[in-house]
Amino acid sequence: MSLGVLYLLLLKATLTSFSGMGGLAQIRQDLVVTHAVLSDDELSRAVLFGRSTPGPIGVYVVSVGYSVRGVAGAVVAWLALASPAFLAVPLLVALRRWLHLSRVRGAVDAVVIAGGTLLVPSGLLLARDAIRQVASLWGG
Amino acid sequence: MTTPSLRELGWLVARDVNRTVGGGALELMRRSLARRQWIDERGHGVLVAVSRFTPGTNLLAYCAALGWTCHGPAGAVVATMAGSLPGAAIVAALTAAAASLDRWPAVRAALVVATLVAGGLVLASAWALVSPYLRGSRKAWTVASIALAAAVFLAGATPVRVLLAAAIWGALTPGKEPS
Repeated sequence: MSLGVLYLLLLKATLTSFSGMGGLAQIRQDLVVTHAVLSDDELSRAVLFGRSTPGPIGVYVVSVGYSVRGVAGAVVAWLALASPAFLAVPLLVALRRWLHLSRVRGAVDAVVIAGGTLLVPSGLLLARDAIRQVASLWGG
Repeated sequence: MTTPSLRELGWLVARDVNRTVGGGALELMRRSLARRQWIDERGHGVLVAVSRFTPGTNLLAYCAALGWTCHGPAGAVVATMAGSLPGAAIVAALTAAAASLDRWPAVRAALVVATLVAGGLVLASAWALVSPYLRGSRKAWTVASIALAAAVFLAGATPVRVLLAAAIWGALTPGKEPS
């Protein structure tokens, strides 16, 4: 996978999440299922490292990038993590005008709730993967 | 209110954002900013609202908005880098180390346990996102929003389409206007 495609896929995941872990389902869909450049095991580790490290929770995408393309992949993933943050600047101006509108607030709330709901299958998949690995370790 | 130098801004963001694991950094930032009188409580509230509305990692959006408020484009870049680079470097180093240690059975066993823990952490993140809404005044609407997202996902939609459906649902079923 080229670095450009990796950046765009990770950017898609970070852009469509409204929480640190919100893009997890999208990353699994794109990198594990569709492109098969990442294993569920590597994704699990990325989540663990991201959650065990000080700083933003979403930093797990750097581990994803490293697993796919090494150091260059980690740099690209960091760029995909950091670049959506700059959308806050125009929003800072626009939100002062529109956030009081109930329809805008309702849309934001519903997206946050949907992001949380999407995390449930991802968490269950990680747990299922771990239980399978335990079984294979004990079975030799 | 006083204006920090770029260096002071970068140092404060790097220190406060990278001092916590799993959350709490915004509270540290609020206290530091108020103590230094760089941003008042109301300004902090606006930045938090902006960060909640910005796609991606909320904490980094807060950093970018804070940096912009204090120092324009240069401040946004410095604050975002200060907030994300230390953690990114640690995560990359951990991943590199895990790859080379993977061949040891004890490490593999530890990673299996870690995977199980990661699953629990993801579920905890889901709960942390949704639970404030379940405790709020629109419980039925929140449950309906969860059901809608789950139904659209189970119908085979990609995560992006699930979020789009949620946004449309939220815009069509707004709560009351704030007084």
